[in-house]
Amino acid sequence: MGKMSPELVSSRIHEFWNILTGESKDKFEDLYSPDAIVFTGRAKRSEPARLALLRRMRQLANATSNATAEIGSVDVQVVGSDVAIATYTYRFQSTRTRTLFGRATQVFQLDGDGVLQIVHEHLSSASPTKVEKAVGR
Amino acid sequence: MAVGTTRKDQKSADSLSTMRPVSPDEVRAEVRKFWQVFSTKAKSEFEQFYLPSATVFAANAPRMERARLMVVRRARELFGPKSSVGAKLGSVDVQILGADLAIASYPFHYSVTRTLPNGRRYRLDVPFGRATQIFQRDRNGVLRIIHEHMSSADPVASQELPDN
Repeated sequence: MGKMSPELVSSRIHEFWNILTGESKDKFEDLYSPDAIVFTGRAKRSEPARLALLRRMRQLANATSNATAEIGSVDVQVVGSDVAIATYTYRFQSTRTRTLFGRATQVFQLDGDGVLQIVHEHLSSASPTKVEKAVGR
Repeated sequence: MAVGTTRKDQKSADSLSTMRPVSPDEVRAEVRKFWQVFSTKAKSEFEQFYLPSATVFAANAPRMERARLMVVRRARELFGPKSSVGAKLGSVDVQILGADLAIASYPFHYSVTRTLPNGRRYRLDVPFGRATQIFQRDRNGVLRIIHEHMSSADPVASQELPDN
């Protein structure tokens, strides 16, 4: 494929969301390194990406309608010749879930064949903190 | 680390360590040091963990911010005499991306007491915290954070504490 650049990273991120929303029939596993580690939305621990991808693919297969996603501006830090850290916010809605304040960190690395793959992903939601009143007031 | 030395001093004194490729054990040690410094509220040492260009997603922030801004906020709210920080770390996974770059990811239980500028104090307990910290070796051979993403698997509730 190519040389590391912010444009290449952005295009992989758009591929990711196109697959997640059902707009593209490309395969999730092509986006990830075999050793990738991910934190998905509500998981308490990180896990190998291959496990999370199986779940995502099952959910996509069972979805009755396409999901929608809107991503904010993507910040890309290129580190050295083959790694880039992409960070952005997103909104996502599907039949099962609704994320209003999504936050994404995806770390990409060029593999031996020059293919850009995700090696680490952390997706989370910034839900507003609930404040309980003072004890004894 | 010896009391009274900075992370930079220590690394400069050990020039061999500046050249060796980053290892999982070194990253795990750095993560433990990070939380030790955070919980002892040592601001000047704490800010040295971050590269000047570092970015962070703080635990419940809707947007990414520069680490230096986050450090100012954490110091103001968490490092005062009436505030406290505590954390218990789970197992730390390390991915080595190159001779000078690695990712640490781990669960943690985080408990803090924040003091706001108006004097109000809040207790926050995050039993299912999740951290990604990306470390890069700087020119002096020191491992520093280039990006950090902290989050909670569950919605977070904070409790306002009574005046005392």
